[in-house]
Amino acid sequence: MNPPKTEHEVLQALLREAHRQKENVEVGDQWQQEVMRRVRELGALQPTPSFSEMLEQLVWRLVPVTCLLILGLTVLFAVSDFTSGYDVFQLLMNGNGTEELTFALFAGL
Amino acid sequence: MDNDSPTSGDAEIVEQVVAGDVHAFEHLLRKYQNHVMILLKKHLPYDHIEETAQDVFIRAYRSLQTFRGESSFKQWLSTIAVRTCYDYWRKHYKSRELPMSSLTENHLVWLEEAVSAQSSQSFHEQSLQKEAREILDWALDRLSAADRMVLELVYLEGYSQKEAAGLLGWSIAKVKVRSFRARKKLHKLLSKQYQKEGGTA
Repeated sequence: MNPPKTEHEVLQALLREAHRQKENVEVGDQWQQEVMRRVRELGALQPTPSFSEMLEQLVWRLVPVTCLLILGLTVLFAVSDFTSGYDVFQLLMNGNGTEELTFALFAGL
Repeated sequence: MDNDSPTSGDAEIVEQVVAGDVHAFEHLLRKYQNHVMILLKKHLPYDHIEETAQDVFIRAYRSLQTFRGESSFKQWLSTIAVRTCYDYWRKHYKSRELPMSSLTENHLVWLEEAVSAQSSQSFHEQSLQKEAREILDWALDRLSAADRMVLELVYLEGYSQKEAAGLLGWSIAKVKVRSFRARKKLHKLLSKQYQKEGGTA
């Protein structure tokens, strides 16, 4: 004789059976035609791009951003006044005071 | 049955479809429609089965190039079907309001009788499957999407934790933890109900 089952085991068996019964639900048979219609609409699958092709696509996608960045930096350089390394060197060699040097570096004069 | 036939020709059909023969996909659709339907019927509400079945096959078609033949096509398709069901429940749970429906007197009586019957065999014969299904749906509706899926696969359908992990794309450890917690939650939910019924009876 089988040992008595626990409440949980009894419940599990009943719920399993109830879950299994869901298979018996009837559904329509038109959905397959709809799948094939959508598949035909999608058309043939495109071949998977190779690594070099993917890289190329990535590069082209980044082109506008790069152009904008270059343009922005060019404008920034054009409107800014820079003290070249040579000017700093000149100031140091001429033995001018540090106040002048700091002023020249920060004010761009 | 269609889904019992050998799967040896599937790889060739997949190759044909990938090569551009769209119509060849219909062979795969016809062959595995029953298998996918059985899976979906167990996991989804009745009125969403057909729509989701379409989504499963469209997803399969779109990702056919990723099928490497490491597992059978049937297994690969099952993975897509289970993950589509999981996606359905995640979306559904996000957009739904809190479940308000409660169990009726009939459900509570059913539960009380079910757990008091020492042998489920005798109860099976007289039990009302409708009540059982409604109680199951009621309880599953109170779990998260992940708990629901793992519980259905492991606890109700008897998949091993490894198989369930493969179908859901999770680690085995995650399935173990989830299924343990989900089972506890389910028992707690149901035992609360039949204890309540026992107390009032």
